[in-house]
Amino acid sequence: MNRADQEAYRRDYAQAKKEGKPFYPYAIYKDHVVAVLVFAGIIGMAIWQRVGVGPPVYSATSTFEPRPEWYFYFLFQLLKIFKNQTALVPVIMATFVIPNVLMVLLLATPFIDRRAERRISKRPFALSVAILAFMGMAWLTYQGETGATPTVGATTIPFTGITPGSAAAAGETVYLTEGCSSCHMVKGVGGQVGPNLTTIGTAGKSATYSGKLPVPVPGATGPTYSGANWFVLHTECPTCAKPGSSMPAFASLSATDLQNLATFLNGLGTTYK
Amino acid sequence: MSTTDIGPKGSATKAGGAVVGHVDHRTGATTGIGWFLKRNIPGETSWFQTLGFAAMAVFGLQAVTGIVLAMYYKPDPTTAYGSIRHITNDVTWGWLVRGMHKWGASAMIIVVFLHMARVFIFGSYKYPRELTWVTGALLLIMVMFMGLTGYLLVWDQKAYWATVVAMNITASAPIIGPYIADILRGGTTFNSDTLSRFYAIHMLVIPGGIATFIGLHLFLVSKLGISEPPWSKRSTRARRAEEAAARAAARQRGPRGRHEVTVDPEPQTLTAEAGQ
Ligand code: HEC
Ligand code: HEM
Repeated sequence: MNRADQEAYRRDYAQAKKEGKPFYPYAIYKDHVVAVLVFAGIIGMAIWQRVGVGPPVYSATSTFEPRPEWYFYFLFQLLKIFKNQTALVPVIMATFVIPNVLMVLLLATPFIDRRAERRISKRPFALSVAILAFMGMAWLTYQGETGATPTVGATTIPFTGITPGSAAAAGETVYLTEGCSSCHMVKGVGGQVGPNLTTIGTAGKSATYSGKLPVPVPGATGPTYSGANWFVLHTECPTCAKPGSSMPAFASLSATDLQNLATFLNGLGTTYK
Repeated sequence: MSTTDIGPKGSATKAGGAVVGHVDHRTGATTGIGWFLKRNIPGETSWFQTLGFAAMAVFGLQAVTGIVLAMYYKPDPTTAYGSIRHITNDVTWGWLVRGMHKWGASAMIIVVFLHMARVFIFGSYKYPRELTWVTGALLLIMVMFMGLTGYLLVWDQKAYWATVVAMNITASAPIIGPYIADILRGGTTFNSDTLSRFYAIHMLVIPGGIATFIGLHLFLVSKLGISEPPWSKRSTRARRAEEAAARAAARQRGPRGRHEVTVDPEPQTLTAEAGQ
């Protein structure tokens, strides 16, 4: 908008105000009508759709999806789309570039669109952008709502050497359902909060710990824990196996799950690749 | 206060008037509120222009229900989950307050989003309201962060892992990502202080920011005045009159005459419509 446009707008708006009505009561009553309707909607939903509590953290339930609130679905969906691409389109696009570009565009809207015209019928470009943005968000949200686990964690890892039905296969299932891959990467799948576990079986871990294990596992009796037993100890009590470890403890798994998981982890990089 | 001038005043009315007068004399409060309420706004405002107020009202509701929840909630990894169960199952009306807070969060997102859509469609972000838009966009981002930090507080399986993953995503951003994630988590990984940190951010840091920015937003809205819908009868009439005047002037000065119209707000529109 140039100077003349701005002056014209100010003059026009002053005129609108002069011919206008006082804020109280004309606008304020409408405001309150709508606010009361919104409140009624909120209370109605709270009564109609009771908010529940899911299982507690680390309970041994095998089915849970680390889903965010619905208004973040579009971001998670974006991540999922980019995760399935080749290395040419890194995940950074979805986690960083796109959200930040969108945020900057949002903040800068008034400085990008500086034309004087305000009637939407005369702003076809702005209208298209609005419709596209809305449809895009709605579509991604819908996909995120109906799609499978939209996380950095994984649902399968492409392994060789794991026979279906074996202890290692059961261990892999525990690994995936407990959300280990939210934090750990194995063969390029998973998050990066914790160390990469692709070859953890070759690390020759051992520790001495003379306390009692939260979940007694047959065969894993201290004080020296090495091989698969170290993984049992570490999963139940990370700080016992690695003093100062910041990994959360998984002390509510069953003894069988722990054993299977340990078998799987202990073979990573050697038997299971 | 001059409303009690008619008839004899009771001593209580007089005392009340004196207190109000005393405060107003020193703060200008009644004058200011009077100005705020009685200031003129354009005659034709749309129902869509109530959504900002609705967003503010829901924020107030979130504050009240949030305070009630804070009276029972225990931000510690060992007790958080139990205290949420307690609120939901045992505390009188606890389920309702929690339900209202939870649904209120979704309602807030929807209402703020619709408010933004109306501002966009009305072109209300244009001169002179650019900064109103910027403060509003920052509010939207803060409201989203409220959702992110509040979600973890339930400390159930789903919320926990979703937040672990969200932090994971944050940490994967280049350069500053790891630092931001460390600040949010209170360490390089999720740990027992993360919950209380999220709690502090959720109930102190962001609400403070939102309240401040609502203040700025409202200051700008009342200073600049609420915009008139661009298709209002009055502005259409004004535009027609201006176009007629411009056409008359154009006729008078002839096709090659000197350009004498000093204000020419929308040249493209004018030529387009003059040709019809
Ligand atoms: C919240 C994220 C998180 C989750 C979930 C998680 N870990 Fe960890 N894990 C870590 C971190 C962080 C470390 C590194 C700890 C340290 O050294 O301070 C770690 C370390 C480890 C190590 C030791 C690696 C080494 O080189 O010393 C193993 C093995 C391991 N995790 C296995 C698992 C398994 C199995 C699961 C699932 C049951 C799991 N982790 C779930 C974060 C996580
Ligand atoms: C917590 C969130 C928000 C609150 C409480 C809020 C509140 C308000 C209120 C009360 C008004 C007065 C007019 C109306 O109700 O329409 C208003 C106007 C406005 N808002 Fe917001 N708002 C919020 C978010 C936003 C967002 C996300 C944007 C855009 C990015 C935005 C941009 C504007 C603009 C430009 C105006 C001036 C409109 C005009 O004068 O017509 N606001 N806001």
